[in-house]
Amino acid sequence: MKTIITIVRKEFQQILRDKGMLRMIVAVPIIQLFIFAYAVTTDLKNVKLAYVDHDRTSESRQLVDAFFTSGYFTSVGMAENQTKLMSWLMEGKADITLNIPIGYAEGIVRGNVSDVGLIVDGQNSSLSGRGRGYAEAIIRTEAAKLMENKRLEHPELETKMHRIVPVTRYYYNPELESKKYMVPAIVVLLISIISGMLTGMAVVKEKEVGTLEQLMVTPITPMQFIAGKTIPFIFIAFFELAFASLIAIFFFKIPFEGSVLLMIAAAILYLQVTLGAGLLASTVSQIQQQAMFTVWFFLLFGILMSGFFYPVENMPKWIYMLTYLNPVRHFMEIMRGIFLKGVTFSDIIPQFALLFGLGTLIFGTAVIKFRKMND
Amino acid sequence: MRRILAVARKETRHILRDPRSLAVAIAMPLIMVVLYGYAIDMELKRLTVAFLDLDRTPASSELQMEITSSNFITPVQAIPNRSEIESGFRRGMFRAVVVIPEGYSEKLATSLESPVQILIDGADGSTAAVVDNYLNAAIARINRKLASEAFGVETLPIEARTRILFNPQLISAHFVVPGLVALVLVMICALLTSIAIARERETGTLEQMLTSPVAPAQVIVGKVLPYIVIGAIDAALILAVGRFVFDVPMNGSWFVLAGYTILYIIISLGLGLLISTFAKTQQVAMIAALMGTLLPTLILSGFLFATSSMPFMLRQISKLIPATYYLRIIRGLMLKGQLWFPFETVALVTLGTVILSVAIFRFKERLD
Amino acid sequence: MTLNHSHSSNLAVVAKDLTRCFGNFTAVDNLQLEVSRGEIFGFLGANGAGKTTAIRMFCGLLKPTSGEAWVDGLPISRDSEKIKRRIGYMSQRFSLYDDLLIEENANFFGGVYGLSKKEIELRIAEQFERLGLTKQKRTLTSELPLGFKQRLALACAMMHRPRLLFLDEPTGGVDPIARREFWDLIYETAEDGATVFVTTHYMDEAEYCSRVSIMKDGKIVALGVPAELKRKHGTQTMEDLFLKLVGVSGESGESVE
Repeated sequence: MKTIITIVRKEFQQILRDKGMLRMIVAVPIIQLFIFAYAVTTDLKNVKLAYVDHDRTSESRQLVDAFFTSGYFTSVGMAENQTKLMSWLMEGKADITLNIPIGYAEGIVRGNVSDVGLIVDGQNSSLSGRGRGYAEAIIRTEAAKLMENKRLEHPELETKMHRIVPVTRYYYNPELESKKYMVPAIVVLLISIISGMLTGMAVVKEKEVGTLEQLMVTPITPMQFIAGKTIPFIFIAFFELAFASLIAIFFFKIPFEGSVLLMIAAAILYLQVTLGAGLLASTVSQIQQQAMFTVWFFLLFGILMSGFFYPVENMPKWIYMLTYLNPVRHFMEIMRGIFLKGVTFSDIIPQFALLFGLGTLIFGTAVIKFRKMND
Repeated sequence: MRRILAVARKETRHILRDPRSLAVAIAMPLIMVVLYGYAIDMELKRLTVAFLDLDRTPASSELQMEITSSNFITPVQAIPNRSEIESGFRRGMFRAVVVIPEGYSEKLATSLESPVQILIDGADGSTAAVVDNYLNAAIARINRKLASEAFGVETLPIEARTRILFNPQLISAHFVVPGLVALVLVMICALLTSIAIARERETGTLEQMLTSPVAPAQVIVGKVLPYIVIGAIDAALILAVGRFVFDVPMNGSWFVLAGYTILYIIISLGLGLLISTFAKTQQVAMIAALMGTLLPTLILSGFLFATSSMPFMLRQISKLIPATYYLRIIRGLMLKGQLWFPFETVALVTLGTVILSVAIFRFKERLD
Repeated sequence: MTLNHSHSSNLAVVAKDLTRCFGNFTAVDNLQLEVSRGEIFGFLGANGAGKTTAIRMFCGLLKPTSGEAWVDGLPISRDSEKIKRRIGYMSQRFSLYDDLLIEENANFFGGVYGLSKKEIELRIAEQFERLGLTKQKRTLTSELPLGFKQRLALACAMMHRPRLLFLDEPTGGVDPIARREFWDLIYETAEDGATVFVTTHYMDEAEYCSRVSIMKDGKIVALGVPAELKRKHGTQTMEDLFLKLVGVSGESGESVE
């Protein structure tokens, strides 16, 4: 125990003396948190809409206005014809175009169906899909309003008209801001990078400079070395977690519905994974750069398959099954759940169990490989 | 020329001899294309919905049937009462609950409107919006059916006729894979070259070379030549995987694409060179390249996240990133069949000229 | 494989048929060696002759392929953990933490050897005084000149008063004056009763040893008191003796790389 404390103290002396390291622990995460929080957005905003109104009636204008008052679309102007719309789409000036044909209003008055043309730039499948959904919903709402007017004109139809009215309510994030969903995940990202990468680099540094060999001729056992080397990064990771969470709560106004204790428990399990990964990387690397690369590579893998950007259910079945083996996914779900939904332990037993299992496996393998390396 | 080739040959040997850098150069892009192609699927395919049927009539079952008949909606076990809703959300058992209130069928038969409650897990806002769209569309379909039963005709007065251009099936891979070319080229050209130059500086071999009759320009050209080749190979590999695995179309011209890609490679190399003039060690070069080129390309160029949704400042930064323009070009060529990019070309050439001149100026200055 | 106890009690290092292979290459080949307590034993040989491999085995960093060695009476195959408490080791690259103060370095190694806070303070005061490091106590290790780094490395290796000190090319790369001073320290250490086992390239240093061995291709080709060896082989200096036994090719074969 005394030996471990000796190593921990030395580690802190080194960290505190290294300005670059301090920057990496304090400044870089803040910058990352802010840039990511604002840039990693899947919100639908400012969709560029161009339109051509061949009808030029109050009804057609009403439809156009419905688009621009919805808050999702910004106008890039009215075109004189369809050809112009197409060229704007091609040049990327417009994302969606709306074409209201001649006779639109008249058709409605006569009780015919008026077709409205929508053309969507489908390149960004996610935004296009949602943009299309919103556009069609606006048209549906407009149609429903017109139906209502018609009903008022023909009260005799009333008994024959029935419809289902959906009343939607969103839980947890009523404004559907992607920031609320992303920021807790970014916190996960930050502590993964810090704890995994720094551990890997710190161990390899001893290898690179030759101090590891020096330590191996002292009575320090590999277990003591590992403990002494990882404990400082546990502290740093928790500092990071607290720091980033406070920024999330007080600056980004992310709700915190769950329990701090549960978050700490989950973080401990998750740190097994990241510290283990750092340690594993150090066993296969000779220089710090390799360790950094190795950790980065696996982290990227883990983040991509974690549902950080898009839900894991969207992935092909076989990849979806693989994501169960991804500790990043489980910790991310736990963190998002704790922040936004106020999950309790009983809600996330499967994630906890998997995180515990995977963490033990990774850390255990790292310890075994590390001991072998020193034989 | 012979001297340049000598330097290039030496650099090639370095790369080939170190299996790790070779892995980074060739295997990593391949893994990335498969991973990104499959893992970043933005389309919600399995929307899990639970029903809470308090009405329990044939009409309410019919509503359930109608909603679940959509391909995207997967029903999960019905929940018995309201208290189960939140715990189900917390456990992630479903994304939405449709509550059919008591008296639903009676209202549907007798009055104008019969409300149905849709409760959505909104934590993931953008997915929630899609969920709402799906469910509303399903109910609208049912309403239309009800209306046509009552009136015998289709009565919705406006009908949207939607056409999707450039990626009609809304396949994510068609959007992501061309974008990967931009990302990987920055990684290879900027990251690897800046590290390679920093390594020579660190070990003192750069000085050694510069004292030889080889001119500095020759050293640089020779050094980056292999990376141009690797970059081109990577671009080709990614595009081949995109074409044959993910069926990404090519609606424009391969020839034009090759031209712009070479321009983009040169700009990326300029970035790498620029970084190496600031970085004394490989470590610093690597961090600078990651932070200064790879990360911005990943998140601020429109590779995945639409810049139009970002705050003003970040939108301005994105305009300074070469990948922003290259992405528009490669996607424009492949998906849209666009061939004429006046604005993007001017932007790329301007950025490239600035980056390269500063890099060369600083490189020369550091040698003196 | 046992060792006569009365015999071993005054032997610091014993090697019997000690062999270590790396793949097909035999780095140490059936090494036989006995080093008495209190000796300054010079372990000579060209680059790649197997010196470092042998030392690493004695210190428990490498396991022998076959054969056995005893360090301070303990077999290396079984008791490497106990051996580590009794020895000090200083390698050719001074394995200190550049980003710690020199006092912090000594503190750390003291802690590693399980000394109490008081003992550490005492040892630091004593050692730093002896090695002339007291003034630089609060200096960053990276700012020390090479000669002082060597002294610090020695101080760190001796925090726990080891009975046996392994020095693997301790004086590489420093000027003759610093080397001379360092050897004075080695003498003092030996006078205090410790055994010093040292490898070196410098043949003038070999002259300072009480006994030397010369290794070639994993085997010992000469062993004895320097003066006697020179007489036996009819050479004037250790340098001539070395060249005669090891051959010019020994050194130059390595320096190509």
